[in-house]
This record gives sequence, structure tokens and C-alpha cells, in this order.
Amino acid sequence: MKLLTTFKLACFGLWSNRYRVLSAMMGVVIGMFAVIVLAAIAIGVKDTLMKQMGSLGAEQILVLPGRILDSADGQKDLLSGLTSVPSTLTYEDAQAVEKVSNVKTVTPQLETVNFVEYEKNKVQSAVVGTTSQYSRIQHATISQGRFFTKEEQGAKAKVIVLGNNIHDSLLGKNQQLEDQAGGSSESAKPKTWWKRVLDKLLGENVSAAEVSLIGKNVIINEESYEVIGVLAPNATLGSSTDNNVIMPIETALATTDMKNLTRMIVEASSLDAVDEVDGAVFGALAENHSEIDFSVVKQDQMLGALGKVTSILQVMLVGITATALLISGTGIMNVMVMSVRERTREIGIRKALGATTFEVMMQFFFETLLLCIIGGAVGIGLGYVFIEIWNSNIEIFALVLPFWAVKLALYTSVAIGSLVGIYPALKAASMNPSKALRFE
Amino acid sequence: MIELKDAQKHFRSGNLKSAVLRGVNLNVKQGEYVAIMGKSGFGKSTMLNLLGTLDVLDSGEYKLTGKSVHKMSRGKRVRLRNEEIGFVFQHFQLIPNLSVYQNVLLPLTYGRKRLGKKKARVLALLDEMGLSDKRNQKPDRLSGGEKQRVAIARALVNEPGLILADEPTGSLDEETTESILGLFDRVHENGATIVVITHDQEVAERADRILHLQNGVLV
Repeated sequence: MKLLTTFKLACFGLWSNRYRVLSAMMGVVIGMFAVIVLAAIAIGVKDTLMKQMGSLGAEQILVLPGRILDSADGQKDLLSGLTSVPSTLTYEDAQAVEKVSNVKTVTPQLETVNFVEYEKNKVQSAVVGTTSQYSRIQHATISQGRFFTKEEQGAKAKVIVLGNNIHDSLLGKNQQLEDQAGGSSESAKPKTWWKRVLDKLLGENVSAAEVSLIGKNVIINEESYEVIGVLAPNATLGSSTDNNVIMPIETALATTDMKNLTRMIVEASSLDAVDEVDGAVFGALAENHSEIDFSVVKQDQMLGALGKVTSILQVMLVGITATALLISGTGIMNVMVMSVRERTREIGIRKALGATTFEVMMQFFFETLLLCIIGGAVGIGLGYVFIEIWNSNIEIFALVLPFWAVKLALYTSVAIGSLVGIYPALKAASMNPSKALRFE
Repeated sequence: MIELKDAQKHFRSGNLKSAVLRGVNLNVKQGEYVAIMGKSGFGKSTMLNLLGTLDVLDSGEYKLTGKSVHKMSRGKRVRLRNEEIGFVFQHFQLIPNLSVYQNVLLPLTYGRKRLGKKKARVLALLDEMGLSDKRNQKPDRLSGGEKQRVAIARALVNEPGLILADEPTGSLDEETTESILGLFDRVHENGATIVVITHDQEVAERADRILHLQNGVLV
């Protein structure tokens, strides 16, 4: 008999036992769903982090408070070697670095958490004091108004640029308001989930009027600042600007208690000058500090550290995937062995009517294989739907599903089906027909 | 048609080896209707399994349509079984998930015989058995008599030379038994060789010849 006929018999066998098959298939469906979603998470996280780290620019150097210890191979260990010490970096350090040759720009950043108030709304935000270079260096796009100028920075102008979330929250547009003053504000109440979903579906805010804070004054720590710009949404993993309030660094130093820099981005005049600038910046800072309590990191070092993180993610992914597949594979094999036992008499009948050992073996082998392939395809499909839903509703980071992951999952389904299908198929094929016919 | 010479078959149970067939000799001519009677445990089913090539002899010779079955490979035995033998069992042995039509079609699915249009052959047989209106039903929706008629249709679908029946009326009432035996008579009249294993004297008396299996030998 041709293989095609055994294949048809296997299809029919699966259909005839569809309810049992469905329960057996769940293992593969869940396993493959997990593989697809975990792969998408790992790749999504990696892509997002790489993009963020990449946005630093190859000609940019990051200065951080705390000293990064060297690893055993003499490289800076950004993952575990960063000591947590209070920042001693100051604006004067930034000004000293600016004088280093081949330094194009220096973008120092002060950062603290504070409440921003507008009328009855009060929102917690990250207040950042920085230079007019910030929007270019951070790739922050302005959606309304403008960014502050160098002149405003020098004049300690009390102007601010709001992150998208903060702007919307101050207008009462979303639920991230905090009613610190004792719950007096009606507009500060979080929106119900269905209203948020409706907002998402309609692509607009159904309950708030469309107004802008440009030109309005907001209060931070009892000081009044004029809103001159709003940043476009930038919801990314780790360093989103959506919840930031950005003001000129001179203004921040004069009107808040922020003194020490949380970081400094130094831009070299060219890519070739990066190594030289790296050393010179370190030297310039060392002159101002009694001890080395800061770190100077280049982009390639950041990417190297990131590579380690993503490698860990990938190892975890492989581990979880292997476990999921082992469990689902074992489950399917058990179900198929049970199926062979339950269908002993059927096997006896088939053999009595002329089915060869090979034909019986192939029928059960194809049944397992088909079960795994269909289960795998369903799992991949569900994973795809999950990723689509995630990407259209969650903005923290995008899940990325490359085609190779889909192919890998399908091949894995085939491999599992082939592997776990062998034993039940051999068990069925090796049955003695006369004994099988007597099976009760 | 059937030549069985000094056929012996033993079964092992732990260290014990018990002889079930102790040198059975049997000759059945083409177109003959033979009944083999015997008490339970006297080896009737073993005999049927051997004749049906579902089992092999420990020693002795077995020829079916002139072919030495005892020397055949497993593959050749399977083909011979499919092409030359039709089985009718006491408990019908229909596959519950398959419809009446699919159950009858099964030997053709595994066979190499070219019998023209398979579907037409199955439908004609079902019509002959009075089962046309039941062809899409599952076996559990049929009565005992209907199930046995399906089993007989399945046994005949490949046009085998030999029909082996193991207690074919053992699960049926008197009226249905008569109808099934009538079918066997018709099959016999059409030229098929029939060997019926039974302990029912009434069933055995429909055959041309009655043999008794006692203590592992035919008398």
C-alpha cells in the first residue's frame, strides 16, 4: 500500500479520535505558543535595547557616576562591575570636559523625582535638567511647541518641556494622576478599563477635551514654569522620555536642590577621535576628583554589556523552550501509547484484514506527526495573534517575531512528532494479530 | 484448497509448555463447507488462527491454494490473508469509529487486487446484504444481525477463496442465526470454501462435513 494511503488513514484516525487528539494536542499548542512568544519577547527586548544603546551613537561617550570595575579579562564589566555610589559629577565637570580637544558637545543631565501641578492635577515625574542639545542627543521629537534654546539655558529661563504622559496627565487625559493631597480631585480619578479600551479603539480620548498646555504655567516645588513644548510619545523599554519634565540645567541648578549629575553624554568631533577623547575626558575629570568615582564608557562597551544580557535571555529562552517541548513531547507520546493500547483490537482487525506491519506502523507514526504539526501550527498562530495584540496595545517594547523563529518552531514540531511517534508506532506494529483480536 | 499435515502448536505459560494442536491433519477441497466442532479450550480458535495465517505452526505443513504457508515470509502471509481469506468473527470485530461502508471497504484499502471500482463493489455487497440504508451508520447503531451481515460483507469484498468463520452465530438470537446461516449457504453456493468453527450442532449441520477437535487432534 502506498504511503499516501497510510497518510489518509492517519488523517482519518485523527479525525475519528478528535476529542482525545485535541487534549493531546494542547501540549504542543502550549509548547509552541510559549516558544513563539518567548522568542518574540527575547528578540523584542534585544532589538529595543540595541536600538536605545545604538541611539547613543558610535561617536558618543557616556560618563556615569560610580566606578565600573574591570572583569577578569581586563574589560569594563558593565553588568556587575558598576559600583553604586552617590554621584560626585557636577556641572563644573561638564564644563571642564567641554574644554577637552575634539569634544563637540557635552550634554550633562541632572535628574530627580518631583511633583508637577497644573490646576487641580498633580503628577509625579522625573525632572531632568539638561542642555539645549538634549532633544538631538536623545532623539526626542517635539510634538507641540519647541525645545528651549541655548540663550534660555544661559538666562536661567523658567521654561520646561513636558513628556507626553505628563502633559496628558496634567490635562486629566489619562489615569496616571496621583492624588497626593487627599483625593480631592474629581478629574484625577483613574479611568475604567473599558474607557481606556474605548480610547484605544477610537484612537482618541473620549472623556477629555483636546487642549494643550503650551504657554501655560505649571508648578514644580512651589516654583512656576512656563510650558514651551511637549515631546512626542517615546514609550521604550528603560529610558522613555514620556514621564520626563525637561528644563535648562542652569534653571534646575538655580531653582531646585539638584546638584550632582546623573550622567553626561560627550560627543566626539569624529569617530576617529573617540578613543583619544575617551582618555582625555577621563583625564579631565580625574583632575577634578580626588578619587576615581566616575566611569567613562564608549558605545562598543555598552553594546558588549548588552550582548551579555541578551545572551542570558537567549540561554533562558532555549532552556524554557526545551523544557516546554520535552513536557509536551512526553505528553503526546503517553497519549499515543494509551491510544495504541485502547485501539489494540482495531490494530488486530486491520492486521487480520491485510494491513502489513509497516502500514500499521506508518499509520500511527503519521498520526503522531500530524498531531504535532497541527498542534505546532495552532500554537504558532495563537502566538502570532498574541504578539499582534501586544504590539497594538502595549508600547513599552515591541515583540518581534522573525520568520526564522516560525520556521524553527515548525521544524521543531516535526522533529518532536517524528521522535515521539516512533515508540507508539513500533508498539502498534509489533502486535500479534491473533492476540490483539482477543484483547478486552 | 487447504492441506494441513501433522500441524502442531504449543503455548508457553511461564515454564509450562502445553500442546494445543498435536499433529492435526486436514484436507478441505475447493468449494467445500466444513464445520469444526469442539469444546471450549480444545484449540478451535488456535486452529482458525493457523488456517487464517494469523499465527504460525510450531511444526508441520500448511498449504493453502497450493502455496506452502509454513514456509512463507510474514509479508507474503499478510498478502495471502488479504487476497485469499475472509474472516467472520463471533464478536463481529468491526472498527467502531468507521461507518458500515468504511468497515466493508477496509480489506480493499490494504489489498492490491484490482476489482474495478471499489466503491461500486462495496455498495453492491451492502445492497446484497440489505444494508444499503445503513451504510453511513456506525456499528454501535446496528443490531447484532446487522453487524454480522456487515462482517460477512467485509469478508466477501475481496472475493476470497476461503471464508473462515469463528462462532459466527455465537452472539445472535435464533431468528438472526437462521438468516446468517442462510447467507453462508448463499456464499457457499457461489463457490466459496467455508470453514466454520462452532460448538453449535445446528450450525455445524449446515456444513458438508463435520469434524471434531478433541485433545488437539481432528477426529
